[in-house]
Amino acid sequence: MSFHMRRGATTQRLFIIKYSAYSVAAFSDQSPAGFRQRTHRPKAFLLDFRGQRMSQVFEGYERQYCELSANLSKKITSASLLDGEQKKQKVSEITGGFEDAEALIRKMDLEARSLPPNVKATLLAKLREYKTDLNNLKTEVKRITSANANLAARDELLESGMADTMMASADQRTRLMMSTDRLNQSSDRIRESRKTMLETEELGVSILQDLHQQRQSLLHAHKTLHGVDDNISRSKKVLTNMSRRMSRNKWIIGSIITVLVIAILLILYFKLTH
Amino acid sequence: MGDHLARADDFEKKAEKKLSGWGLFGSKYEDAADLFDKAANSYKLAKSWDQAGAVYVKLAECHLKLDSKHEAANAYADAAHCYKKTNTKESISCLEQSVNMFLDIGRFNMSARYYKEIAELCEQEQNLEQAIAYYEKAADLFQSEEVTTSANQCKQKIAQFAAQLEQYQKAIEIYEEIAQHSLNNNLLKYGVKGHLLNAGICQLCKNDVVAINNALERYQDLDPTFSGTREYKLLADLATAIDEEDVAKFTDAVKEFDSMTQLDSLKTTLLLRVKEALKAKELEEDDLT
Repeated sequence: MSFHMRRGATTQRLFIIKYSAYSVAAFSDQSPAGFRQRTHRPKAFLLDFRGQRMSQVFEGYERQYCELSANLSKKITSASLLDGEQKKQKVSEITGGFEDAEALIRKMDLEARSLPPNVKATLLAKLREYKTDLNNLKTEVKRITSANANLAARDELLESGMADTMMASADQRTRLMMSTDRLNQSSDRIRESRKTMLETEELGVSILQDLHQQRQSLLHAHKTLHGVDDNISRSKKVLTNMSRRMSRNKWIIGSIITVLVIAILLILYFKLTH
Repeated sequence: MGDHLARADDFEKKAEKKLSGWGLFGSKYEDAADLFDKAANSYKLAKSWDQAGAVYVKLAECHLKLDSKHEAANAYADAAHCYKKTNTKESISCLEQSVNMFLDIGRFNMSARYYKEIAELCEQEQNLEQAIAYYEKAADLFQSEEVTTSANQCKQKIAQFAAQLEQYQKAIEIYEEIAQHSLNNNLLKYGVKGHLLNAGICQLCKNDVVAINNALERYQDLDPTFSGTREYKLLADLATAIDEEDVAKFTDAVKEFDSMTQLDSLKTTLLLRVKEALKAKELEEDDLT
């Protein structure tokens, strides 16, 4: 419910009320629109205060459109309350009304464009509002019909089912038999569900056993990993020892080689000089 | 497929040649082992399980010569897996050899697991007594490794076979022990009533009325919630039916229990035995009177 009030600074005073559930007082210079009561649910109203410069034709179209949209909204609300065949009739009426409304809007459009530019702007804005209004109505109808399709199909399906049960209720004995039948069916179903529950319980027990086993293997793996950890640190120590010994051996051999080489050189030197 | 077969043959011949010829530094066993491994893989891909098993056995011998018992045991296990698809006896013998080696090394976990496999194979062949023997060995090893769930599982199987072979006392003891053990464990306590039911049915098979009632009381002490369960109700009904030697009542009680949860094959066989014993007793009494 939006109350949209546009006041022109100088000339016109327009009240456009969309989707109002309140009664609206309407004044018009040219046509006696009068008060519309709440029961009539006025939808959109064009109020022209001093519209001598407005086109007569446009106004006529506007009035027609307002009446038409009010009518359509009434039909929509009534259609949503009905179902089945009457709903379809209403919906077809409403779609006919939509076509008329679209024709009116097209005519209004032409009129507005033929007028001089300053009024053109305002009229075009109004026209846009009417168009959105019409689109809203269309979506509502679509919503009703889409829900309608499901509901209609369901009703048809279940209606035929209901008819059978409704038929035999005259005789008391048959009624009692039917109720005992239904009780037996429900007790059967309860037993079935109890069976399923027990099966589920058994399944749960076996799952718990599996979990227990997995828990144990996880714990075992945990312990083994600790052992592996210890072994790795020990092997690390052993490896560092090995590398240290290797480098020590290298140094020793290197030093012995150098000592020997020096000794050989000295001997050669002394030999040669003597 | 033929490609794998050809390659496998190739590998095997090369390995044999290596073994028979002279190698440097005695590395011939390692090379031969490598080639055998590849050959066995290709045989497996070619799906010729027998040949793969044979090659795995040769591989194990190579490893034994190399003094790596662990590898040899693994190779025997692989051989057994290959033989499983075709020839169960061979696979059992291979598994036994691998188990012995694992026991030597001290890897009880693996050996227990392989014992369990052997037992399963025996079970498939319907060789229940051997299966029981192997399951017992496996259960002992699991117990020593503190892997209680696998031990319990093995023991359950033992009890099942014992009951089938009419060694009821043994089965009863095992079931009660398992039930006692499971009570303490939060995860397992929901399975207790199943175990007690099995134990109770075995008691019934023994046909000793006083013992049955004692046992029922004992179970109630063990597990306070047991008396509310349907299993307890079934056992009580069956006990009274046996007391009164009323076959119809017996069948009714069993049918009622069966309508809720399907009875498995072990329970059905045992209950059938009890029923036949009951019928026989009835006929006897009729004969006498």
